[in-house]
Amino acid sequence: MVPILKQGDTLIASIVAALSDDDLMKFRDDLAQRIGTVRARGVVIDVTALDVLDSFATRTLRGIAYTARLRGAETVIVGIQPEVAFTLVQLGLTLEGVSTALDLEEGLALLARKKQERR
Amino acid sequence: MRSMGMTPAEIERRKIYVGLTPEDVRAIAGARKAIEDTVDRHVDAFFGYLAKIPEAHGLIENREQLPRAKKLKRDHIFGLVSGTYDEKYVEQRLELAELYNKIGLEPAVFLGAYNHLMTSLESVAREQITSLRKIGAFDIGVTVDALVHQRERVIRIQSEAIRELSTPVLQVRDRMLLIPIIGVVDSHRAQLIMENLLASIRSQRARAAVMDVTGVATVDSKVANYLLQTVAAARLMGAHVIISGLSAEVAQSLVALGIDLEQIHAVGDLQGGLEEAERMLAR
Amino acid sequence: MSEKRIAIEREVDIIAARQAGRQLAGQLGFSTTDQTLIATAISEVARNILIYAQRGEIVVTSIADGARKGIEVIAADHGPGIENLELALRDGYSTKNSLGLGLPGARRLMDDFDLASELGRGTRVTMKKWKR
Repeated sequence: MVPILKQGDTLIASIVAALSDDDLMKFRDDLAQRIGTVRARGVVIDVTALDVLDSFATRTLRGIAYTARLRGAETVIVGIQPEVAFTLVQLGLTLEGVSTALDLEEGLALLARKKQERR
Repeated sequence: MRSMGMTPAEIERRKIYVGLTPEDVRAIAGARKAIEDTVDRHVDAFFGYLAKIPEAHGLIENREQLPRAKKLKRDHIFGLVSGTYDEKYVEQRLELAELYNKIGLEPAVFLGAYNHLMTSLESVAREQITSLRKIGAFDIGVTVDALVHQRERVIRIQSEAIRELSTPVLQVRDRMLLIPIIGVVDSHRAQLIMENLLASIRSQRARAAVMDVTGVATVDSKVANYLLQTVAAARLMGAHVIISGLSAEVAQSLVALGIDLEQIHAVGDLQGGLEEAERMLAR
Repeated sequence: MSEKRIAIEREVDIIAARQAGRQLAGQLGFSTTDQTLIATAISEVARNILIYAQRGEIVVTSIADGARKGIEVIAADHGPGIENLELALRDGYSTKNSLGLGLPGARRLMDDFDLASELGRGTRVTMKKWKR
């Protein structure tokens, strides 16, 4: 289970290591719902604890980001570790279209900047 | 011992190389007393020779090491005629070799001194000299291999250090990194650069990095791909990489290689690159 | 030669397999970057087993070739097999809904890669990574 916290109009979710595929799907649905319920404008997904991001996990994250955007929220994925970043690039997987930042603090800052730009 | 591969099996192999037979071991036993009784003469022969060689004066002048070396040499000669040539015996030779390495004794000089030792032994054990020279050859093999092994180790350590120095990641100011790349970039170096950069992005919390390739003359497709991968990986960590200083030749080869140039944010020179990075951070 | 076998029958086994791979790679002295590459490659082929064959096995072994040391990962199953190997290895190809990338992806991450498959008999992926 992925805990989703609310901070202003931003939702923050930290994915712990060893998340099952089912849990990931559940998280996606959960998040989609919450975005609507709280009228969230931004989502930060923290993957710091993930030591492996394979093609399945990456596709799922991208799907979550797209779903969020369709519901009016901007997603930032934070906490991708150097080794994982290197591996994703080797796999040829870009998180194209999804914003990324170093950590939660940077992620929130990025969302704030985007909000400014949207005005 | 182990890093040199001196297993019991290896030791037996080396004895075969020099042709050491049980007959030889018996013969050497016959010369044992004569040599043990005259041991100091032989030690002096060895060091006397070294004293005449300027290259060896590092050992001869060394007041700390010389007595130890002489004692080890005495033990060595006792070992030589002991008849037992096992791991302990080899260990003894390696100990001496380490000492020689420390004072920088050249293998060639060592060989000359060893030959003098053999000649000295011959004077009291004429009959058994052929057998003695065989075990001597064994000793020389072990010692010279140890000296070379040590030297190679030093070279390996130095190359590592040079590689480290040649891929610096500098923090220009808060949140901005500068990676000046000079000289030849092979795939190994390119990977080091990427690993360093990604680690630095995390530790310095950088949001912008300028990779200056002014000093790079040519780039092949492998390295070009590494550069692209570096840019992509940095982006996944929330940092934007600007490449500055692409020469006309390198730029042309990148185009010719069919590299996806959309991925590269390039600026003409280093100054421009830094200014662009500033602008990105200001946003 | 240390060897570890992990049965792949449930999703949670994928995680066990990649952790086993990471652990062995760490013991062999692979860098953390390489450990991640290896664990990810294992994740890709293990997931393939679940998707296409429902069950199979991952075997990780330490290997040596002269002075070189490395790790070997075998992903084997008795599933339906792959009809067109060439197509399966092409980036972006898959017949099922969950888009592949398993095999081409794993190949990119490892040094040596071999794929053997027989329709109706099963599939066997053998991949190796060498310590630099």
